[in-house]
Amino acid sequence: MNHLNPLHIGLLLIVILLFLSSKLIESKTEFLEAKNSYNETQKVAITLSALKKVYADKQRLKKSLYRILQLSSLRSADILKTTKKSEIILSSKSMEKKALNSLMGKILNANFNIKILKIKKLSDKKASLYMEIKW
Amino acid sequence: MKFNKKLKTIFLDTHSKEFKIVGRVNIVLSPTLYWVKKLSLPVKYARDAKKLLPSIFEDTIPEGNYSYYIYKSGEYFIAFAYEDKKIFDILAQKGIKNSQIANIYFAQTELNHMENIFKIDKEQIIGVKDDIVLLLPSALFTQSKKLDMSNIKHSKHRVNLTQFGHIIDKKSLYKITAILIAFIVLITIELVMTYQKTDTIIINKEELFSKYKLKSTMFQNKSMLKKYKTIHIKQMRIRENISAILSLHLIKESKLTQLILKNKVLIATFSGVKQGEEIRITRALQKRKIVFKSSFKKNIFKVEMQL
Repeated sequence: MNHLNPLHIGLLLIVILLFLSSKLIESKTEFLEAKNSYNETQKVAITLSALKKVYADKQRLKKSLYRILQLSSLRSADILKTTKKSEIILSSKSMEKKALNSLMGKILNANFNIKILKIKKLSDKKASLYMEIKW
Repeated sequence: MKFNKKLKTIFLDTHSKEFKIVGRVNIVLSPTLYWVKKLSLPVKYARDAKKLLPSIFEDTIPEGNYSYYIYKSGEYFIAFAYEDKKIFDILAQKGIKNSQIANIYFAQTELNHMENIFKIDKEQIIGVKDDIVLLLPSALFTQSKKLDMSNIKHSKHRVNLTQFGHIIDKKSLYKITAILIAFIVLITIELVMTYQKTDTIIINKEELFSKYKLKSTMFQNKSMLKKYKTIHIKQMRIRENISAILSLHLIKESKLTQLILKNKVLIATFSGVKQGEEIRITRALQKRKIVFKSSFKKNIFKVEMQL
């Protein structure tokens, strides 16, 4: 005699189906969480990498600043350059207005992290400058 | 090495006394528990003939949920109709559990070679007439021996009882089973694919960490991102505010004399500003949506912008 009850098989299949369905729901939730986490990490990674490149790439910033200071309009300006571990200080007790405009134009158009800036007009053609740039 | 244990065989009839069984037994069904017909049919194989059985038995047996069995015997077919539920009920009544049943046979297939008539109980005898095993009243043959089932050699014709055949037919059961199995297969495939996709995403995420040289925890990375975003926003504001200050159209006497940035504050000092001129500067800055505080004293106009 066939001792295997078909209803038992049916019930077993339903139990397996329910178990697999719950596992599938669980795995779909895990997948969505992993996907969201990946998207978030990617967003953070791209933005952070871009911002670090702009504000924390010491070598690139140094090179860029030195290139500005080497411009013919600034070479003759009396700009004192003090380099520290995490910053550079540009100062001049008296510099030409034209050179100051040129310097500020270049600095403001680039992505330097300006911490302190002090510009004081001395006369119609002269001004003093103190600027701290962080990296 | 396989040991074949000889199992006890019992004859099951509606009039049988309750059995006390130890271990498993073979059951031979009394002719009262099935309907049998000897048929000559225009088909070659039993499987073809089986399809015809419901209509063949339809008019000759009472209404019920029947299962059918047929085999070929010489030129004829021997066909059976039986009710699974009825047999199960009798088995239960006689104290036989399903787990105690080894195989079930029809008396027709097991006893059709009997040459004599045998006694079943006080009221019934069993015999064969025209190749059909029959139950008869014992009054017809008083001199018969008791039926001995101990040396019976069983045929290959076993009865497969389906316990819930009266609720759901086999075909529907197979269909439902097939559907359930199909679902199980589909869900399993989907499950495996989802696990694989999750693993791929986790690997890709790990690659992101090495590609962008991220810190080991997202907390550290988010904290760094916040720091750089703050710097970026501040620097953008510095540039916007300086641009707004430098693009002011000042009248000849007014001059920007000082520009100081310190501690998140940008201060612009204008000197030689005439009464009313400070309002024009204020409006120009407001137009550029610059947030600021201002003071005007002795022709000196100070604009203080919070970054």
